[in-house]
Amino acid sequence: MTAPADRADPADAADPAEQAKAVIEYCYEQGWTDGLPVVPATRPGVEAFLATTQRSDDEIIGSAPHLGRSITVAQAAANAIMAGCKPEYFPVVLAAWQALNLERSVRGGWQSTSGPAPLIVVNGPVRQRLDINCEGGVFGPGFRANATIARAIGLIVRNGYGIRPHELEQATQGLPGRWSLCLGENEEASPWEPLSSVGGVEPGVDAVSAVLIRTCEYVDNRGTDSPEAVLTDFADTLARIGAYLGGGHSSGGIVLGPEHAQLFGRHGWSRANVQEYLFDHAVRERGDMTAAGKGDGPVADPAAAGTPFRMMPSAKDIPLIVAGAANAAMSMVFRPFGWSPWSGRSVPVDWAPAFREATGGDLA
Amino acid sequence: MFDSIIDPTIGPADGPGPFSLSARPDSLSGLRIGLLANTKRNAEQFLNEVGKILTEQYGASAVVARKKPDITSTAPEPILDDLAAGSDVVVVGVGDCGSCSASAVADGIVLEQAGVPAVVVATDAFVASADAMARVRGVPGYKYLTVPHPMANLTGDGVRDKAEAAIAGIVGMLTSQAMAASA
Repeated sequence: MTAPADRADPADAADPAEQAKAVIEYCYEQGWTDGLPVVPATRPGVEAFLATTQRSDDEIIGSAPHLGRSITVAQAAANAIMAGCKPEYFPVVLAAWQALNLERSVRGGWQSTSGPAPLIVVNGPVRQRLDINCEGGVFGPGFRANATIARAIGLIVRNGYGIRPHELEQATQGLPGRWSLCLGENEEASPWEPLSSVGGVEPGVDAVSAVLIRTCEYVDNRGTDSPEAVLTDFADTLARIGAYLGGGHSSGGIVLGPEHAQLFGRHGWSRANVQEYLFDHAVRERGDMTAAGKGDGPVADPAAAGTPFRMMPSAKDIPLIVAGAANAAMSMVFRPFGWSPWSGRSVPVDWAPAFREATGGDLA
Repeated sequence: MFDSIIDPTIGPADGPGPFSLSARPDSLSGLRIGLLANTKRNAEQFLNEVGKILTEQYGASAVVARKKPDITSTAPEPILDDLAAGSDVVVVGVGDCGSCSASAVADGIVLEQAGVPAVVVATDAFVASADAMARVRGVPGYKYLTVPHPMANLTGDGVRDKAEAAIAGIVGMLTSQAMAASA
């Protein structure tokens, strides 16, 4: 690669800041970035990342047979470095990647016109150890672990699979925050068991859950102490026709602000109670669907004429997560991509024992 | 310069093999037409119309229709084997989304590698992803047939019209000696 005439050779630059700038430009020129500057990955950097995990550097953690591409642990480490991760974030990145690959929709998702975003949820003490934000402004920005773990996934897809916008990636519009959604569940403010225990991992164990989503929509409801009233508000947003693709149902989940979650807890509602209420009430009249040009298929089923049309796949497939600050009663509905709800499986974070010992138990 | 920086795009080596287009027949008369549909809306209907026209107007002897279950991936081997064994040429379609246009091109390339002349039909909205897939598969410039987007909102007559409009292109790409020679 020859240097453009307007750029001095960085070897000549005595100022390390100028050299760093040249490195950043070099990475842009290679097509390796998501539009923001990246940190250069070097062999010692990758070694430091690999030391945090028990997995071998050449283990294949993802394949796209139709593209003839596979991704190794070492390659994921290089991309996590570029995203700005610290070495100790790497086991969380690997767990997030594994959790995403449990999603049925993931293979088509990276190239889809829907342009879906991974929503990554972290449970367990790792949240405090890595300073993963669970509280105010949980959707970001402002927190290195949240921002860079999510970004690492995006760079792995881009550089590992070669799926780039306007080429193999064909998002019609994409969505705000595609590679930036990683949040800690606010377990301390939740009346319920952690999401990861719904996903099959013991409470108190570091774990990651992930789902591909198409958007988030807020529900602001601060004026009532009635669980039913708040749930009626949620159900209205969940039942939005625009999210329906045809084919039986749309899909939805909620990141509950702690105030809403605690209201349910105070009134004795379990997570399952809330899910069942939402499943029963997130419905539309079939005529509404027809009026919007979405009246064919299951909506037109003559055997069901006159009954409301359920917009959610099932009660258990409405994931409920608690995150944010307990300073206002608002929550965020999110929309899983395609027809697939969350896989329902959380992935424990796997730490290398030697790394755990070396950090005196502070990090794992 | 910056030799110590690791290239994050380099993974395990599993690159594409060599490629050449299969030899083309002079005409479709007496040939068996394979149809490889994906699950995209109107894809099967479109290909069925193509099959009908090729039988009625171009003398094709039979139609073998298959549908692949997953829009994102190339067709499973049993389906491709079936088509390669039971048909003389194959029409693949319809590439009408980000991932399925790319995977339709990959299906076409796999069929050519198996010795079966194939034509891939994709809507013109997804040329970039279809071309990118061709590059990934080691066949930059792979030719496929584009039809105007969209396809999903057409009704029966509209699908038939689209098939009729595309038929000359389909026949051309399945029989053109010039095309086979240029590959």
